[in-house]
Amino acid sequence: MTSTPTAGARPDEVRRHNRTALLRRLHVAGPTTRAALATELGLNRSTIKALVDGLAESGVVEERLPRARSGAGRPSLLVLPQAHAAVVVAVDIRVDQVAIAVVGLGGEMLGRNSWNLHGRASEPDEVITHVIESTQVLAADLGVPTIGVGVSVPGVVRRSDGFVHEAPNLRWSRLPLGERLSAALGVPVRVANDAEIAALAEHLRGAARGSLDAVYISADIGVGGGVISDGVTLRGTAGYLGELGHMVVDHRGRPCYCGSRGCWETEVGELALCRALRLPEGTPRGAVVAELRALTTPRQIADVLGEFREFLTVGLVNIVNVFGPELVVLGDLFTALPPPLIADLGAEVSRRSLVSRAVGGTRVMASTMGSDVKLIGAAELAFEPVLDSV
Amino acid sequence: MSDPILEITGLNKSFGPVHVLHDVDLTVRAGEVTALVGDNGAGKSTLVKCIAGIHPTDSGRVAFNGGPVSINGPRDAADLGIEVVYQDLALADNLDIVQNMFLGRERGSGWLLDEASMEKAARDTLASLSVRTVKSVRTPVASLSGGQRQTVAIAKSVLWESKVVLLDEPTAALGVAQTRQVLDLVRRLAEQGLGVVLISHNMADVFEVADRIATLYLGRMVAQVPTRDVTHAQVVELITAGRSGDLGLARPESATV
Repeated sequence: MTSTPTAGARPDEVRRHNRTALLRRLHVAGPTTRAALATELGLNRSTIKALVDGLAESGVVEERLPRARSGAGRPSLLVLPQAHAAVVVAVDIRVDQVAIAVVGLGGEMLGRNSWNLHGRASEPDEVITHVIESTQVLAADLGVPTIGVGVSVPGVVRRSDGFVHEAPNLRWSRLPLGERLSAALGVPVRVANDAEIAALAEHLRGAARGSLDAVYISADIGVGGGVISDGVTLRGTAGYLGELGHMVVDHRGRPCYCGSRGCWETEVGELALCRALRLPEGTPRGAVVAELRALTTPRQIADVLGEFREFLTVGLVNIVNVFGPELVVLGDLFTALPPPLIADLGAEVSRRSLVSRAVGGTRVMASTMGSDVKLIGAAELAFEPVLDSV
Repeated sequence: MSDPILEITGLNKSFGPVHVLHDVDLTVRAGEVTALVGDNGAGKSTLVKCIAGIHPTDSGRVAFNGGPVSINGPRDAADLGIEVVYQDLALADNLDIVQNMFLGRERGSGWLLDEASMEKAARDTLASLSVRTVKSVRTPVASLSGGQRQTVAIAKSVLWESKVVLLDEPTAALGVAQTRQVLDLVRRLAEQGLGVVLISHNMADVFEVADRIATLYLGRMVAQVPTRDVTHAQVVELITAGRSGDLGLARPESATV
């Protein structure tokens, strides 16, 4: 809402604000009864009825009698968001592949695609062309116009216009990705750092739902972090915060392309895991996962991943000390780590971190959203500015 | 680095006087998509059917997870955890998704099927593959699109905890967008740590999803190379001529046929 305290809000503004709030609630939490909507939004039941009727008339929601009754009296109608009423395109650009999905209102994925980035295929022009082409194929198949695009990039991105300052693992620099995509697709395009996007997804729909302070760690070739602080994403100047992977954990360690030495990324990223597992560089993701799955006994885990675990813990202790989160979610490749290893991390961090002990033990857990977390986050990013115009 | 999940060496197969596969070697690694390419009649489908135990082989060794095994029938292959998905959408139209996924292996005791547990397992499997395009697992298969049917067929292999999935042109009967969905699923299958073999005629598809390309030429395995080391043109040459530069068959003057 644009009104300031000095100017009173006009009724249509209030109505518009309420409509967006209701739609956002349905989009994030899924089907809800009218009565629950009234309680949660703190609005009068007749206001809810008017809003829902309006949305139902334009086909954005559907109302149905709930199957299971709760409590006495006439059952409240269940309001269901209709996926096809508003669709966005989510794009997840990774170092070795691109995934793309068409996501409807309520978060349902209506179509998807992905492809490898071998050799020339990872050049910016190739990726942009392929994304545009793929978007058109998927949108044509659905027959519903796209209203926005969200893009996740493993790099440093300016939030205001989607300018990719640097994505070193892709060898991209100074690329006006947001502008180029929106010029070609004709809809608003928002671009953000991959870890920030994943943190958003975890916060809205995943493990960090309901936590006000959480950190998400992404781990592909590069390692990054997204920080939710007091319920909102922490961004730093121009949105460049998030390079947690370049925190130095061993100042005499391996040189990193960023200009420093012994960055966390060089010790816990995909290449470090490949070294620990004795796999050649550039091993496909699935093969790394298969090798990690093969580690079952505590002895094997300690032998192969001992040093890796130490560096992982050191980095986590630093992160917990700096940001003081109640929850740290490990994503991507880290979700394939042996469960006993992950289960011990929280306790080990508590032993070494004052902050963790002070907040009653920061929980450390693996993401449950699988490899789709960035697609889900990118869709939320795309929905953010357009929900009020649905 | 552990042993390949499936390794075939020196496989031969004849149909009467026709020698279809000559000393074929094939290595399938867990977590990788291996594309099996070749011209019509090169022996791709025959090779897959030999691995699946549908055709008996004349000679050859099969190692599964490092240990030698013998596959004498489809049941042996299924017991090892080898599942095949065919191009012709081999599902029962009149049954719903759950019934299809558990067809012939229903859960329950005596006359009573455990519908609730089967339905939950089917739903969990689809969720683990992030399949969000199917509304209800009780939808009859007849009403699904081609892409959704292939999705169900592939999800079946995950439900049964297969180690290796062989896909014989899974996208041949599908449109553009549906093909994309299925290939995306194929890749996610590999990312879960399964060994995947994909037969395809479409070079663009192969380059988009495969980690490794195995080329058959007139019943011989001429090359198994990582996708990032070869170009489209090289693979097309391998398919049509059996060699490309120093890849593939030896030059005719030095070869003894």
